[in-house]
Amino acid sequence: MNRIEERMTKLKNNKEKALITYMTAGLPDMDKTVDIIKAQAEAGVDVIELGIPFSDPIADGPVIQDASFRSIEKGTNLTKVFEAVARMRKDCEVPIVFMMYFNTVLHYGVEALVKKCREVGVDGVIIPDMPYEEQYEIRQYLDEESPILIQLVSPVSKERIPMLVKDAKGFIYCVSSMGVTGQGGDFHSNLSSYLNEVKQIAEVPVMMGFGIRTADDIRGQEDIIDGAIVGTAFIRLMEENQYDLNVIADYIRTFKREMNG
Amino acid sequence: MYQNKKYGAFGGQYVSELLMNTLKELESAYREAIADPKFWDDYNYYMKEFVGRENPLYYAENLSKKYGTKLYLKREDLNHTGAHKINNVIGQILLAKRMGKNKVIAETGAGQHGVATATGAALFGMECTVYMGQEDIERQKLNVFRMEMLGAKVVPVTSGSCTLKDATNEAIRTWAKKAEDTFYVIGSAVGPHPYPEMVKEFQRIISKETKKQIMEKEGRLPDTVIACCGGGSNSIGMFAEFLENKDVELIGVEAAGLGIESGKHASAMALGKPGVLHGMRSYLLQDDNGNVQIAHSISAGLDYPGIGPEHAYLRDSGRVSYVSITDKECIDALLELCRLEGIIPAIESAHALAYAFKKAETMKADDIMVVCLSGRGDKDVHTVAQYLEGKDMNK
Repeated sequence: MNRIEERMTKLKNNKEKALITYMTAGLPDMDKTVDIIKAQAEAGVDVIELGIPFSDPIADGPVIQDASFRSIEKGTNLTKVFEAVARMRKDCEVPIVFMMYFNTVLHYGVEALVKKCREVGVDGVIIPDMPYEEQYEIRQYLDEESPILIQLVSPVSKERIPMLVKDAKGFIYCVSSMGVTGQGGDFHSNLSSYLNEVKQIAEVPVMMGFGIRTADDIRGQEDIIDGAIVGTAFIRLMEENQYDLNVIADYIRTFKREMNG
Repeated sequence: MYQNKKYGAFGGQYVSELLMNTLKELESAYREAIADPKFWDDYNYYMKEFVGRENPLYYAENLSKKYGTKLYLKREDLNHTGAHKINNVIGQILLAKRMGKNKVIAETGAGQHGVATATGAALFGMECTVYMGQEDIERQKLNVFRMEMLGAKVVPVTSGSCTLKDATNEAIRTWAKKAEDTFYVIGSAVGPHPYPEMVKEFQRIISKETKKQIMEKEGRLPDTVIACCGGGSNSIGMFAEFLENKDVELIGVEAAGLGIESGKHASAMALGKPGVLHGMRSYLLQDDNGNVQIAHSISAGLDYPGIGPEHAYLRDSGRVSYVSITDKECIDALLELCRLEGIIPAIESAHALAYAFKKAETMKADDIMVVCLSGRGDKDVHTVAQYLEGKDMNK
């Protein structure tokens, strides 16, 4: 069973909500990236979204754009991230999802990427600029053993929701605000009713992401969603604290406790 | 369902889920508009009364004499706002109006599309915001001021390379946030479907007029048609009506900057690999890790790492050939047009002209060549002066 699905089943049995974090691979360097992943895993994070830096991240706000830019400057590329994941997998089983733009996938080779993810132990991929209609290109290589293609749903997806939710595996990523990542708490006015709509027909857990900083930001949605995704706020926290592993672990524990409290 | 959204392996809609319904609405509004004669009446009215069309297909007598073949110039430089960009802007803003949107956003490199959009927005009473790279804002101060005079807000973009590519990223990000009341006026034949097709249809007027005019003047179609390509809007407009006439040779001219071999160029077709940027799949300049490379050219308008998806298709199908011209060749041609014909062309258009002069060597006295003079050179006087003083203008 895929690590994401395994974790989701466990959470469901324990009646717990998931915490998913996003971090840009390669910051502050590749070895430290592995340390941060392990520290989060120990602190109880449920899934880690590992951002593969790209020169033109159109779905991201300034904080992640900047992180992406700095990581590229440090020489991060997909091959090095795969190597890091392989090292990490020797003693860490936390579910890993790559968040990457389609040009990076295309450049590596769609089939090659799927194969390598499987080999190394990457459990899912999120490709924000590959909407449902364009996904056939990667779907043809996906099966039970391969990484899960995580489906994004937006507050303006409306009549598209059933199509998007129908084949979703792992979890569904519900975008909570319009535009880009990291617009702290500025959620779409229609948020609850749209989350409800997704939740009612979804067979896999529903996560909310974009603009979440603390467990407080999901108040009002906690009866609907199955977990939260934190990106920008998490990157900012790590930077402000020089990637201190204790601070990172504390944040994860606090968020999980407050969310499930 | 989706049809015709790909040009062979190119095109598509590589945008976030947030924009998919927006693109669907846009496509259906666009299909309705182009099927409505009233829409085209409005478009043609503004083309004539506001833009000043039709513009001449000018027989360049002195150049023809020098190069030993018949050389015609399609004078898009005589349009209001100084280039072909306005044709597309009027089309898209009429569509925005029809869709009930009262705000427009646009990206701009050199500022020509920004000025055209600000102009259209002023004409139709719309709120206009233009995204422009910080680097370009410094290079093109006059156009920034023009946009502001026309009532537009110019937003500096400070991410990535701070040029057109990044301004486009920022416009797409803003669009994903505000699409509910905002129309994105894309300036070139790029972006997600249906933009490349839309831009082509609104620029088609260039080749429609050219075809009619050359029949009047020569009684036959030209042998060769040449246009410059950045994103490829003037060229796709110039080629559109000739695509079916297989005997007409079509040539797109990209910017070779300091030379393709120098690595400092903007020729997506020469060395680019297929890739995805700005919602489309096309040829794209990228490095070994699949990151988009920064284009280099003396021409801000050709300084784009990708190219419209239909051009990628036309290249692979062999219908159009794509060549490139260096900064130096372009400036030589620009000065020659100034001195021999009394026309100061845009640096972009001078690329097409430079290739026409090369091509002329293989042509006979009775052969006919048409070059799209996509814009006028007023905006470039400073750049040309600096180049001639020996400063490095290749950014």
